[in-house]
Amino acid sequence: MADTMAAHALDLLRSTPVRQALGIVVLMTVVTVSTTGVAYLRIRQGLEDALQVSLDQAAAGFATARTTAELEQQVRAAALVADAEKRIVAFLPVNGQAVGNATARMVDGSPELRAMTEDHNLSDHDYDLRVIVDARGTLILGQSRDGIDELGEVFFGLITSSLVPTVILSLAAALIIAMRSGKRVVRIEETLVRLTKGDMHARVNENPRRRDDLARIGNKLDRMALAQEQSVAALKQVSADIAHDLKTPVQRIAVLMEGLRGRVAEGSPESDLVEQAVSEADRAVGVFQSLLQIAQIEGGSPKGRFRKVDLSAVVATFADIYGPAAEDSGHILTFDRQGSGPIFVRGDKDLLGQVVANLIENGLRHTPVGATIRLSLEDDGQLVIFSVADNGPGVPEAEREFVLRRLYRLERSRTSPGNGLGLALVAAIADLHDAALVLSDNAPGLVVTLTFDSC
Amino acid sequence: MKLLLIEDDATIADYLLGGLRQEGHVVDHVADGRDALSQAISGSYDVLIVDRMLPGLDGLSLVRALRAAKVMTPAIFLTALGGVDDRIEGLQAGGDDYLVKPFAFGELLARIGALARRPVQQATETVLSAGDLRMDLIRRTVTRSGVEIDLLPREFALLEHLLRRKGRVQTRTMLLESVWDISFDPQTNVVETHVSRLRAKVDRPFDRELIRTVRGAGYKIDG
Repeated sequence: MADTMAAHALDLLRSTPVRQALGIVVLMTVVTVSTTGVAYLRIRQGLEDALQVSLDQAAAGFATARTTAELEQQVRAAALVADAEKRIVAFLPVNGQAVGNATARMVDGSPELRAMTEDHNLSDHDYDLRVIVDARGTLILGQSRDGIDELGEVFFGLITSSLVPTVILSLAAALIIAMRSGKRVVRIEETLVRLTKGDMHARVNENPRRRDDLARIGNKLDRMALAQEQSVAALKQVSADIAHDLKTPVQRIAVLMEGLRGRVAEGSPESDLVEQAVSEADRAVGVFQSLLQIAQIEGGSPKGRFRKVDLSAVVATFADIYGPAAEDSGHILTFDRQGSGPIFVRGDKDLLGQVVANLIENGLRHTPVGATIRLSLEDDGQLVIFSVADNGPGVPEAEREFVLRRLYRLERSRTSPGNGLGLALVAAIADLHDAALVLSDNAPGLVVTLTFDSC
Repeated sequence: MKLLLIEDDATIADYLLGGLRQEGHVVDHVADGRDALSQAISGSYDVLIVDRMLPGLDGLSLVRALRAAKVMTPAIFLTALGGVDDRIEGLQAGGDDYLVKPFAFGELLARIGALARRPVQQATETVLSAGDLRMDLIRRTVTRSGVEIDLLPREFALLEHLLRRKGRVQTRTMLLESVWDISFDPQTNVVETHVSRLRAKVDRPFDRELIRTVRGAGYKIDG
């Protein structure tokens, strides 16, 4: 459950709208950060410059004092109107008391500031200082950098407060769009799967009021499916017509042959010819019959008649019925089954019988004298596995897919009997039963495995 | 027997009429489904032979209409359609048997015979016999001229089927249907091999052949 949810979330993240939204978010972040960053740097530079100018001006003002007393007086006057947290004005005479709004101790040439009164704590503040030393003493001018430092916080706040909601909103919108269009994409995918499986009625059925790209794809898919359904129906009709129109003359031939058979002496050369003609007509009918049946099964019509079928009884019947024929042709036919109880699958008994019969006949036909054809059946509670294995020449891996096609025959089997429809019919019936059909190597020989769901 | 052949193809109809009459049956023929309906209701036939594709009224509807009118005359369908569904449809419509074209005349004849004389020998019988052969259904033994013959279960079932229908031809497909319950004809001659196994045990050691091959049709044990 958690796995499927995780997979679902991953699918959602991979979807086009979410990926587009993520791209836009990244782009927007880059643009916002860079433009705001440039503005920040410019403003900060401006403030720095202003600060230096203000310090320069103050320094120039104090430089006009000619005497120490005059300087001290100017410092005292300036300190009266300056808030020590913002602006420092202090004079440390060579002899005597410090004046101004702060005092300082010189440590390695740079001053360590202390407030003159207890209500100011200067260590929290960051200053740009100008220290002017002459014979009278040390003049310290300071300007607080608090404004410049706060500027960074203001800009950081600006970026986060504008970016975070935008990112959240656009991602949420993308997810909603992805989920909504995701459902429609899933519907298109499901329709394609059903069409591939041969369900000609499958349609996307887009809301006709929608006009977007997905709706257009869905509508085109539906039109394609309709065209395909119509051509399949036409093909079926043609097949049925051909089958009917050809079967009637073949029936007449059979009828005439029958009449001829009555008129020639049994055992005469003419009688042999009649028998050959009859069996050729039978073969023609066999091919028609199989083609029609495959078409009908692929149409899916017998599915309504599915019942619980004991597959072990079906296989046993055919193992029994083909036993003597296998023995006569020098083959060994065995049936190994798990347990002794019934093994149920859902399906059509006649069609399943046909699968077993065709696979046995296939084995008998395409293996040399002395070969073994092993039928086996097991049920693990979830899957029922039926397999037919022989130790004959097998089917080359590259051709395994083709032998399931109708009328395909391996080059070397052209001369052996069979009409190239046996395995195609098996494939059609397996498909109808949702059973997996796999041809594999028996080293040597061929194993045909059919896997059904238990029932 | 009195038969009604309902078939629109003239060549096939002519041939069947000739063949059936030669076998001593009285046969009427109609080529149209609607005519067939009134004919089948008014005449008292033993078996109806119905082509499925007919002008006027198709064979399936014809038999359905007859069954609705409580005409229970056995009907055998002849059809060019041979799918699994088609066969079931035919039987569900009230047909008693189903023969896919092209069929051998012998097959049709054998099936008509089977339909007309439906009740086989009483199932309550415990011993079946033909000539010097005796089959004990309770002890599941078979003897011929007092010699016990050892049969496999399937061989026993095959012999029992033929004995119960003594004197009637049983075709390969009829045997497949009743002995193995298989409604399609495998390509390999599976029935022949079973019959020849049975013969090897039942006939070969003895001087008279009990199981006869009827050319172009099937097998029978003479009554």
